[in-house]
Amino acid sequence: MSQTADRKQEVARPASKYGFEESWLDRTPRWLSLLVLGVAGILIWYGITLLEVVSPILFPGPIETFEEIYLSARGILSGDHVFEALVITTQEVIWGFIAAAALGFFFGVIVGETKIGQKAVMPYLVGFNASPKVAFAPVFVAWFGFGINSKIVMALFIAFFPVIVDTAAGLASTDRDTVMLFRSLGASRWQTLTKLKLPNALPYIFAGLKTAAVFSVVGAVVGEYLGGGKGLGELVRLSAQQLRLDRVFALIFYLSLLGLALFAFVSWLERRLVFWHKPEPLEITSA
Amino acid sequence: MTVQRHPDTVGGFRRGDEMLRVEGIAKTFEARGVRALDPVDFSVANGEFITVIGPSGCGKSTLLKIMAGLMPPTEGAVMLNGSPVTGPREDIGIMFQQATLLPWRTATENVILPIEIRNGSKVAKEQEGRANELLDSVELKEDFHGVYPHELSGGMAQRVAICRMLVTEPSVLLLDEPFGALDELTRDYMNEELQRICMERDATSFMVTHSIPEAVFLGDKVMVMSARPGRIAEVIDVDLPRPRTLDMTTREEFGQIVRRVRKQLDVGGMG
Repeated sequence: MSQTADRKQEVARPASKYGFEESWLDRTPRWLSLLVLGVAGILIWYGITLLEVVSPILFPGPIETFEEIYLSARGILSGDHVFEALVITTQEVIWGFIAAAALGFFFGVIVGETKIGQKAVMPYLVGFNASPKVAFAPVFVAWFGFGINSKIVMALFIAFFPVIVDTAAGLASTDRDTVMLFRSLGASRWQTLTKLKLPNALPYIFAGLKTAAVFSVVGAVVGEYLGGGKGLGELVRLSAQQLRLDRVFALIFYLSLLGLALFAFVSWLERRLVFWHKPEPLEITSA
Repeated sequence: MTVQRHPDTVGGFRRGDEMLRVEGIAKTFEARGVRALDPVDFSVANGEFITVIGPSGCGKSTLLKIMAGLMPPTEGAVMLNGSPVTGPREDIGIMFQQATLLPWRTATENVILPIEIRNGSKVAKEQEGRANELLDSVELKEDFHGVYPHELSGGMAQRVAICRMLVTEPSVLLLDEPFGALDELTRDYMNEELQRICMERDATSFMVTHSIPEAVFLGDKVMVMSARPGRIAEVIDVDLPRPRTLDMTTREEFGQIVRRVRKQLDVGGMG
């Protein structure tokens, strides 16, 4: 610590002339900047509620929200209806995610590995991916009923496009010279796929899986909003109807935790499997 | 002149015997209507090092791919060890500008990749010792055997690629600008290494390059090509003793040959 400080004094550069001096922000550790911004955000939130420009019923402050988060946590720990809702939503999310990962990977390989897939199927998938997929939710309720199945299918439907697209893109990103090397070694198509293209596509596949982790929560909640569900999404809908927005905020907090937990699990798996490719911490992935 | 052969080279061939013959190879890319290569004829003797130089678009990389069996010629044939090349072959070793190592495999695992693909993981595993000996021979000692490519410098990565090419003991080495992406100092060093390796094994080599001094330094013959469509403008013999040293590159004899190649390139390039 003190040594680097000494060296800085020693160098004593003529400051600011170049316009790219190391600023105090560069020296701030990440956890501190996250903490400061988080606290500042909550304070601003609190300040807005103090001004009472919006009715506290429509815009609960941080204190009411944290209280509700705490009460829900106690309820969850004692196994009440919030706990039951959490279990149901977790099931929907996990099954939806697993199905999305498996189907997305399977179709992604087919799309990425075949000429027809690349030339004809991929453009349709990209187009489909751009469509507002939540609009299909009533269709699935009609097909699969009001039970948990329609929610799983909705989660799957929203989450599996990014896996397909990223898997196919990962396979297509294989270095051409390396493919040529494999050809020169007389590698079969299967060998080229398993020994070269799939490992090469892993960082892409994981980017898709991380998006899918977040999307599967979206899918499950949208499915529940349409009714018949018994999960957290249904509780959100009911609480909003009762104008208990503090509870809505608390439930959204737990839904976010659910998505974050799945995201963190996939990131952990990625670090284990894709050891040669180091993504940035908290890397932001696109949808 | 008879030279004693290295004991473990392909049976029955003596230095100077014809190893590879290119018979009227021409290439037209029908889809784009581009004539990349006019009929090209030459042969490479056993133990000979041929370097090819020419402006971009002279078809030298196309020629190399055809020789490697990676691309069919429109006309002509490539004969290697007396049989025509009609596809990838075990007796051809190939190397590219990028090391093309697999980042999820260690240096040793990258070297045995060709064996794994041809003969399966079990046979490859048994050859790990030999792979490590090869790595040792290019100054990548024990500490580097278990290292992953992202921990290697560009020159080290290309040395692993050399080992991967040599592990199947091919009878001809096809090198497509293997050191083109390296900095000049590393490149000089790698050229000396390559010369040493080729001399030790009496390797038959065909190398595409963009650098005149590199072509002269390594080649027994420098094949100068001209562009659009590609054809051989001149074949220049390099009568410099081996092993050649970097010191020799500043001498008058070396400079004369460089100037000859330069002049031929200027004629071909402008014309």
